[in-house]
Amino acid sequence: MKIERKIIDTDILIIGGGTAGCMAAVEAKERYPNLKVTILEKAHIDRSGCLAGGMNAINAYLNKGETAESFTKYVKWDACGLIREDLVSSMAELFEYCVKKVEKWGLPILCDEVGNYQARGRWNIKINGESLKPILAKAARSAGAQVYNWIVTTNLLTDHNRVIGAVGFSLRTGAFYIVHAKATIMATGGASRLYRPNNPGDAAYKTWYCPYNTGAGYAMGIRSGAEMTSFEMRYVALRTKDTIAPTGTIALGVNAPQINAKGEKFMKTRYAEMGGDHSPTPYRTYGPMQEMKEGRGPIYLDTRGLSEKQVYDLKAAYLDMYPSMVLYWTANNINPAKEPIEVQVTEPYIVGGHCQSGYWVDTNRKTTLDGLYAAGDVSGGAPYKFVSGCWSEGVIAARAAGEAIVGAGSKPTLHPLSEEQMAIEEERTYKPLLMMGKIRYPFSPAELEARLQKIMDQYAGGASTGYEMNEELLTLARERLSHLPDALSQLVASDWHQLMKAHEVIDRVDLAQVLVEHLIYRKETRWPSYQTRVDYPKRNDATWLLFVNSRRDRGSDKINMFTRPYKQSV
Amino acid sequence: MAIWIDPEKCNGCYGALQPPCLRMCPGDLIVKDVAANKAYLKYVNDCWDCLPCVKVCPEEAIEFHLSPQFAGKGARLIPHVVKGKDLIEWESIDVFGKRETFEIRTKLIAMALDEKLEGEPQPIDFSI
Ligand SMILES: Cc1cc2nc3c(=O)[nH]c(=O)nc-3n(C[C@H](O)[C@H](O)[C@H](O)COP(=O)(O)OP(=O)(O)OC[C@H]3O[C@@H](n4cnc5c(N)ncnc54)[C@H](O)[C@@H]3O)c2cc1C
Ligand code: SF4
Ligand code: SF4
Repeated sequence: MKIERKIIDTDILIIGGGTAGCMAAVEAKERYPNLKVTILEKAHIDRSGCLAGGMNAINAYLNKGETAESFTKYVKWDACGLIREDLVSSMAELFEYCVKKVEKWGLPILCDEVGNYQARGRWNIKINGESLKPILAKAARSAGAQVYNWIVTTNLLTDHNRVIGAVGFSLRTGAFYIVHAKATIMATGGASRLYRPNNPGDAAYKTWYCPYNTGAGYAMGIRSGAEMTSFEMRYVALRTKDTIAPTGTIALGVNAPQINAKGEKFMKTRYAEMGGDHSPTPYRTYGPMQEMKEGRGPIYLDTRGLSEKQVYDLKAAYLDMYPSMVLYWTANNINPAKEPIEVQVTEPYIVGGHCQSGYWVDTNRKTTLDGLYAAGDVSGGAPYKFVSGCWSEGVIAARAAGEAIVGAGSKPTLHPLSEEQMAIEEERTYKPLLMMGKIRYPFSPAELEARLQKIMDQYAGGASTGYEMNEELLTLARERLSHLPDALSQLVASDWHQLMKAHEVIDRVDLAQVLVEHLIYRKETRWPSYQTRVDYPKRNDATWLLFVNSRRDRGSDKINMFTRPYKQSV
Repeated sequence: MAIWIDPEKCNGCYGALQPPCLRMCPGDLIVKDVAANKAYLKYVNDCWDCLPCVKVCPEEAIEFHLSPQFAGKGARLIPHVVKGKDLIEWESIDVFGKRETFEIRTKLIAMALDEKLEGEPQPIDFSI
């Protein structure tokens, strides 16, 4: 098989043209118009990633009276006392800058009679965001970014500790893309489909988090020896039953409290000291989980008594973000004013923008690898990012990357590419395809995915153990996962699409192994439901108010675990 | 099974090799049968139900169906893109035929029927 090579030289490479990636591209081109900015996107930037279906709110905004400091304090409380305050406050300072920009590009934002943005809860504003992704994509293109759609990025190119670009293949032509860059911004989002999904069979991809974000950016960083943080803070979400739709639209939109099978407002009665229905997010998942475990399920959001207008507005809000919710109600003849909306708990996702798992970065969003920045759900230490925080991080990373190229001081040049490294990466990228028909006992991507998900589900705190874990289970997870890298050498792919699926599995195996080490390392329960260690059931600030970090050794592939201190400033 | 492309209604966007439905799927699930000049959902179990494909089809050829695990069949949810008006009119029809409509503001971004890939002939370019 002769593989065509495309070599592209650029100044700033952005991997993943999503929420953070598109905003980074605009900021880079506006500030440094002479720099070449290139986006590699596995889908088409007009409708890729989390925003494909649309959004109905911007979940992080400083409404009247709020400041970056009050936001940071809130986020710290919501994340059970541990965040990178420097990162959270620096992103909060840019919320307004980003939101105003996107509004100028045409995003309809709901306003009250006097023209103020309509708040939803303390930190959200309401939008008609069905087209948010095409709006961002158009802005990125108009700003002059060079966009390559359908390029599945498979690895970073490095020269010692410096990232000098990335490689991938085209889903359409199969060509091997080698992008050579002075600075690289990782913006591939988080990871779903690590654990067995909530729904089997034809609804397995009916996940909350975008099922096509499979942790590629985390995995590329892990393989290149980047320092990562807080994977153990998984995101286990409270979502509507079956459709797995976000519940904030109901809980914040119409102030619906959670109730159990007996109609009891259990968050109010049992979690009063945490804040009842306004407890920190992990507790709003933990509360209902416990109710179900103790036999008081099913759990609902109590929407009974809503006015006809409220129900209509609720449906309209879902149409902007998650239309299947409306079809579900229609098809099942459900009227939220007459019956409460059943909720459930999702499989665990790794999402740096809701929790704080991802690259360990400085305030410029520079990772521990030279020349590599990280923004959005792939970047760690800063939970409560949502759409606007991902934008802020895109802006910060783009400014820092541009400054590193044009600013004073030693300037990065294009490091020479070694033919040897390109050949190794090419072979690695196409291996599953080249192995097709050459292996006696091949694995399809779907088969290995099922094996990975089963291990994670049963030994690493998935739904089947009530999201709980202990040292023994996690040690078994470690052992079971240790066989997967070998199995990956039997992975085969029959076409370009299957080759993408193969890399999605490869990436998740690398991520899962590091995730399990993080889960083993933190010997306390800081975030009940996200990280319930039944053998260490209490939060222990005396020992564990610190970050659990990791770095995989590039030579031996050994995962080294260590801690970093928490620094208080607010 | 999440979306279904009605072969009676799909005109293949004329000769487009990369028609809008195919381009806008974040999971790369839709392919075009060039010989038949029809698009179809190739990976039926991998759909996220996110609906960009449905919204961008100029022929409204794509139907949205819930998984049979979730509900019975027959209810419909149809987004009608109101051209030139930055509006989507959603039509929801329950199994008894009762209709509800929602007119929701948006920002429509023009979209060509085809898009050139590097190394391919120029696409037909009339925007929808
Ligand atoms: C259903 C849903 C509803 C939400 N609702 C809201 C809301 O109403 N308000 C709010 O503020 N937040 C909301 N969020 C959260 C918010 O959308 C995300 O936190 C945010 O969009 C993440 O941005 P990102 O740039 O990190 O990832 P994304 O926007 O997902 O971008 C990642 C990009 O990387 C690409 N990519 C992935 N892997 C590769 C690879 N190997 N090679 C090349 N490209 C790759 C993807 O295709 C994608 O385009 C919601 C999230 C979901 C899933
Ligand atoms: S609904 Fe979304 S995932 Fe499913 S085919 Fe359409 S665009 Fe693709
Ligand atoms: S956009 Fe509609 S008409 Fe065009 S190919 Fe797709 S399904 Fe067919």
